[in-house]
Order: sequence, then C-alpha cells, then structure tokens
Amino acid sequence: MNVLEAVDITKEYPGTTALKNVSVSFESGKIHALIGKNGSGKSTLVKIFSGAIRPTSGTILSNGEELAFSNPSEAFAQGIATVYQELSLIPYTTVAENIFMGRLPRKGLFVDWENTFSKADRLLADMNVDISSKDLIAELPVWKCQIVEILKAMSFNPRVLLLDEPTSSLAVNEVKTLFEIVHKIVENDVIVIFISHRLEELWELAHTCTVLRDGELIGKMDMSDATHNKILDMMFGDVKVQQRSRELSTSEEVVLEVRNLTREPKFRDVSFSLKKGEILGIAGMLGAGRTELLRALFGSDHFDSGEIYFEGQRISSPSPVKMKKIGMALAPEDRKRQGLNPFMTVKENLTLAALDRITKRSFILRKREIEFAEKQVNDLDIKVTDIDLPVDSLSGGNQQKVVVGNWLNSAPSVMFFDEPSRGIDVNAKQQIFQIIWEQSRRNISSIIVSSELEELLEVCHRILLMRNGRIIGERMSDELSRDELYLLCMGASGQ
Amino acid sequence: MITMNERIRNILKKNIMELILVGMVIILGFTAPHFFTLTNLLNILRNSSIQGVIAFGMTMVIISGEIDLSVSSTVALAGVLTAFFTGLLAEAGIMPMESAVIVGMLVAFIASAAAGIFNGLMRVSFGIPTFIVTLAMMKALYGIAGLITKSFPITTLPLWFNKLGAGYVWGVVPIPALILIAIFLIVLVIMNTTSFGRSIYAVGGNEESARLCGINVRRVKILVMMIVQITAALGGILVSSQVMSGSHTFGKGYELNVIAAVIIGGASLGGGRGKAWGTLVGLIFMGIILNAMTLLNMNEYMKNLVTGALILLAVLLNSIKYGRD
Repeated sequence: MNVLEAVDITKEYPGTTALKNVSVSFESGKIHALIGKNGSGKSTLVKIFSGAIRPTSGTILSNGEELAFSNPSEAFAQGIATVYQELSLIPYTTVAENIFMGRLPRKGLFVDWENTFSKADRLLADMNVDISSKDLIAELPVWKCQIVEILKAMSFNPRVLLLDEPTSSLAVNEVKTLFEIVHKIVENDVIVIFISHRLEELWELAHTCTVLRDGELIGKMDMSDATHNKILDMMFGDVKVQQRSRELSTSEEVVLEVRNLTREPKFRDVSFSLKKGEILGIAGMLGAGRTELLRALFGSDHFDSGEIYFEGQRISSPSPVKMKKIGMALAPEDRKRQGLNPFMTVKENLTLAALDRITKRSFILRKREIEFAEKQVNDLDIKVTDIDLPVDSLSGGNQQKVVVGNWLNSAPSVMFFDEPSRGIDVNAKQQIFQIIWEQSRRNISSIIVSSELEELLEVCHRILLMRNGRIIGERMSDELSRDELYLLCMGASGQ
Repeated sequence: MITMNERIRNILKKNIMELILVGMVIILGFTAPHFFTLTNLLNILRNSSIQGVIAFGMTMVIISGEIDLSVSSTVALAGVLTAFFTGLLAEAGIMPMESAVIVGMLVAFIASAAAGIFNGLMRVSFGIPTFIVTLAMMKALYGIAGLITKSFPITTLPLWFNKLGAGYVWGVVPIPALILIAIFLIVLVIMNTTSFGRSIYAVGGNEESARLCGINVRRVKILVMMIVQITAALGGILVSSQVMSGSHTFGKGYELNVIAAVIIGGASLGGGRGKAWGTLVGLIFMGIILNAMTLLNMNEYMKNLVTGALILLAVLLNSIKYGRD
C-alpha cells in the first residue's frame, strides 16, 4: 500500500492564506474526494501535490519519504500525474498520438505507427472503453476526451492520479463510465484524489471524502459514515447568511418573460418571468446550463426554440446589439475572454457598452466619457490611480468591477450578472450587491447566476433552481435555507 | 512613486520610433547632400503619398484584426477603370474627356468599395480569414485589370488629370502630399474621436467582448474592409495620374510596403493596437530611408538589404516596447 501525505501545509498569498496547517493522508486502493466551496483551498492543495505551486511551509511525504519538486514535470517524474479541467489534447490528431505525445515509438528516424496504435489499443482494451486509437480528438465528446486524458496520465504508471473536477461538464451516465475506469485504476494500487462539486455523486464514486473550509482541513471520513447534512455542515460551518433589507420590494409588472426556451443539449424548456425591480437568482452547479441560458437570453448564443418577451413585445432573433438597444445588459463570467479589452484603458473599458450614450452624432464627448468612467470608479470603489491606465494594470477584483461598471453605464432596465463575485474579496462583493439593490430600488431588474449559492440567498428575492439544463423549481429566498438550496442544486434526494 | 528616471525612460520607450526618426533626420542633414532642402522634404512626402493614403486605410484594417492584400491590385484596377471609362465615354461622344474622367474615377471608387464589401462579407459570413480572401481577390482583380487593358496601358486621359498626382499648389507643395495629409487627418479624427473608431479598437482587441458589448462587429469589419479599398482606389488614381495611363501592372508589391509602414508605426497584426500618428511616422521613416539611400547613391540591391534590416529593427523595437509593458 502507498500513502501520500500532506504534513502541516500552509500556503500564503499576499493578503490571504489559502491553506492553513493542513495535514491529511491518502492511501492507495481508494478514491478520495476533495470538497469545499469556492475559495476553500481544495484547488490549492491539489496544485501543491501536482507541483504547480510550492507551499509556504510544510512537506509532502510519499510512504514516509519527503517529496521535493519545484514544477509539475518533477512531480510527474516522481509518479504524480494530474488531469486538469481544461483538456490538453490536440484536436486534429488521433487518440494514440495524444496518449504518446512526445514519446511516440520509433523505427529509426520515423514514427512506428503500427506499434503506436497497437500499444494504444491495448491500453484502451485494458480499460474496456469504446474508443478507437485512431479516432480524432476533435470528433470525440468531452467525456471521452476526459477518458483519453486519464489514460494518457495512466500510461506513465503513476502512483498518484489527481483529477481536477473531472465530472463538472459531464452527464450522469458519462460520469458512471468515467468512474468505472477510475475504479479499475484504483485496483492497481494507485492513489486517486478528485475534486468534486456534485454532492450526489460522492457516495457512488468515492471511498473517502475530505472537506476543506477557508483553507483549513475540517475533516476526512469514509463515505459510509457520511451524510448529506454532515458534509454540508462541514463545508459551511456556522456562517450566518446575511439578508437583504426587507424594504426591497418588487412591482407586479412583468418586464421579461421566457417561454419554453430550449437549446440542446445545454438547456431545455426553460420558462419564467421577471418583474420590474426584481432580483432573480439562478442557482445550480457548474454545467447546469445557467451561463448558456443567460447568453441565449442576451442573444449572444442562438437557441433552438422558445420565445422571449420584453415588456410584452416578442423579441425575434435576439442579438447583443438588439438586446442592448432595448435595455438589457450582460456582465459576462470570464472577464479576460469576454469582458475586457486588454489594450484599452480603464476609462475606455468602462464606456464600451455605453458608447452611444457618450457620443453625439457619433463623436465621443470627452467630458461625458470621463464623467461616466469616474462615476463607476466612485460607485464601485475601483482602485485605480488614473483612469487612463491600461485595464491590465488592475487587480482581478478591480477588473471584475470594471466589467460590471461598463454595463451599469449603459443604463439597462434588466441586467444579467454571470458570476459577478468570481475572484473578488468580501468587500468588493458587498459593493456589487449594494449596487444591485440600489438598482432594484430604481425598478431595474437583475438576474444573477452564481456558484456560491449562499450569496444568492443574500441578494435575491427569488431563486430558480436549475439542474442538468432544466428549471426544476423555484423558491423565495426568504423561505429557503442554505442547506436546502445546496441539496436541491446538487440533486441529492432529500435526506 | 514614479521616479524622474523612470518617467524619462517611459517617455523614451513610448516614443522610440519618433526619436529614431529625429535622430535619422539630424544625421542625414549632415551627411546626405541636399537632404535638408524644402524641395527634398516635400519630395519625400510626395513619394510616400500613394502608398501613404493606402497605409491609413490599412491602419484601420490592421487595428480591427484583419488584413487586406488586395490593395495592390485595386491600385491597378482603379487606374485602368478610370482610363478605360474616360476613353469609352469620350469616344462614344457622350461627354468630353475632361468630364468623363470624373465618371471614370467614380466607377473606380464604386468598384473597389464593392470589392471591399465582398472581402468583408466573406470574412464575417463564412469566417474565411481575410488573408486568404484578399489573396484570392488580389489575383482576381489583377486578372480583371488585364482583361480590360488587353495588356496594353490605356492612355485616354485629359491633361488636367495629371495635376492630381503631379501638380503643385503655390508652386512648391505637391498635391498628392496634401491629399496624404488630408487622409491622415480624417483617419486620425475617426480613430481618436468617433464611436466608429473606438469600435474598431474594441473589435480588434477582443472580438468576443466587443460583440457582448453590443457593438456590431459585422458592420465594423465590413466597413473597414471597404474603406481600405477606397483608399487603394485613391492610390491607384494618383498613380495613373502621375504616369497618365492605366495599366494592369500598377501597384505590384504595394501591399507589403503599406503593411510594413503600418507595423513600423506600432500597430499589431493581432489587432487592437495601432495609431494613425504611428503610421505617419512609419511612412516618413520608410520614405526618408529610401530618399537618403538615393541621395547617397546606393544601388538597388543595397537599398533592399537596408530596408529589410530596418523594418525588422523597427518591429523588434515595438515588440520589446510592448513585451515589457
């Protein structure tokens, strides 16, 4: 039996401690789940095991011997293989090539293709998966790519296999197939550790479960001893959910109505309505279809069928141009890829969505541009010495505020927030919530998607529950506890 | 706090091309005979003007993240169309050559605008990279120009037309240099003060974020592809005015010189970055080097070698400048 051990691991970043004196051990022959809410430190721990980051203090032991590595390839050489969420496969090459990338069998100067494919086929047959070594990666579904990724890691015969949220983008039956393979791997005396967001799958997939909260190890237990409530208590402790002020009310007038919106396979049959001044949350785990729904509502992605009504008017073929014009706004999830223009200044990034509001006969009014930018800098408390600095020079949290401020400047009547608090600190989060409430007072509606479900309880009037692309229910946030919400979203059948 | 030293270094870094240009002018002033005469300086502008007007259109295209290789063929086609329609209308007795040439120019502008819109549509509707679309367009337009001329230059042009490309105002200032300055000012104003200009930067810097910001990415791309073609047509008309004929051989190799000037001016082929002012500096930089080498009596091969080395050097400086930001 092999044992991988973390001893007294601490990881400090400027201003925050990601891990505090974490000591935990994982033995081979078992699948270990690592869980905790966002920011609990679970990814940091996995990254330390994989050599991607170095701990501030503490040691990693393998069978009692200290392991020292300063980068992932050194960790890899010592038998620790990691499969990350972002796949590293090359689209227009075969499965076999990907598995043996960089070490293809050779015959003299040339690649020995026969040997390459037969070696890969043997590997695939061992695992009993329905993939051919000659399949192109680009033509495989995501879960099969995930399997190829795992096989690639396994072809190095590692002692430890780390899986970073392997199931987040997979459907239930795909998860099952994937884990049949992981179970086979574990039988060969391998230590498997995986990060998960889905509570319901733990009992089926894992033997033990380790819970982190705010960088501290809360406990490790066998799944046979675990219950839903026990795990939730460990994940959240006794934090009090703050409540939005009671005076926030919604009008009865419907501003946005969605009927049977469907986009296979992301979401189907989504219907709801949004009232003026209402703050509506969409709760669900990663991969539930929330982001895709928002994007379709804003017209940035197409949908297959269904109808969108804005103030009673049916919106045919929505596009971001059209939706902005009628008063909708979307602060996107991924600020680097979707939110910001890296070559532009803070000021320019703050006025991009509101370009038509700062121009007169298509000429930009300098004074108004500065006014608009400074209003958001003040309201959102964006930390910047000069609005003419490149947006790149800001910290992540401040960049997030720029994305939100950009859209607030467009004076929307309905605003969508996709993960508005991702990667920002508690203070910044509160400021964004204050803005959302302030907007509600002025009869502006918001729809918020967030993985941090407790913050939805804090901010929203009403919460839609989304799972596997469907709206499975709706609750007023006053009538809902945090644990209930998590159970509903993670799909555990009320224990 | 930013120290004085850092501030100076920042200014140096930011204006490196301008400084090199000034340095070059000073050195040439002392070494090259006749460099510092008004006629010579205006000459430099005049010689840069044809590729220069195109370079400002190209600046917009490159900032938007696209490219247009077909500008060279548009130079040929625009000259050919102008001369051809002038001859056609005059010989048919519909109008005298003097006014027919205006119709000819109009046809040239409309045809090239249409080619640009086509380039843009292929890009936004089918996702074909503009490198490929405009490469094909270049071949096709040279083909059309050759078919119209039947491989002989068309010379049916009125005398006054020669003024456009070869005339002077106040006896010293070349008209094409004035056109160049006008185009520069127009592009400068568009890029710096209009929402269209801002949209071009937005689209080139991050197309997805621009789209999500409700900017009409399709329209922006089609428009810039059209504008560069119109500037190319203007360049073509200037060429044919200088030599008083339209020929399918005009413009060969212009596209790369134009792109070089834009890139020397600090624009990035990846889009989102670049300035009208920078392109002007790039143009003058290229113009001065060519001029100086002529004054210094260098042969053609030496000129090519030096130009190549200097383009690389300029781009290297730019990439160091941005890489360290």
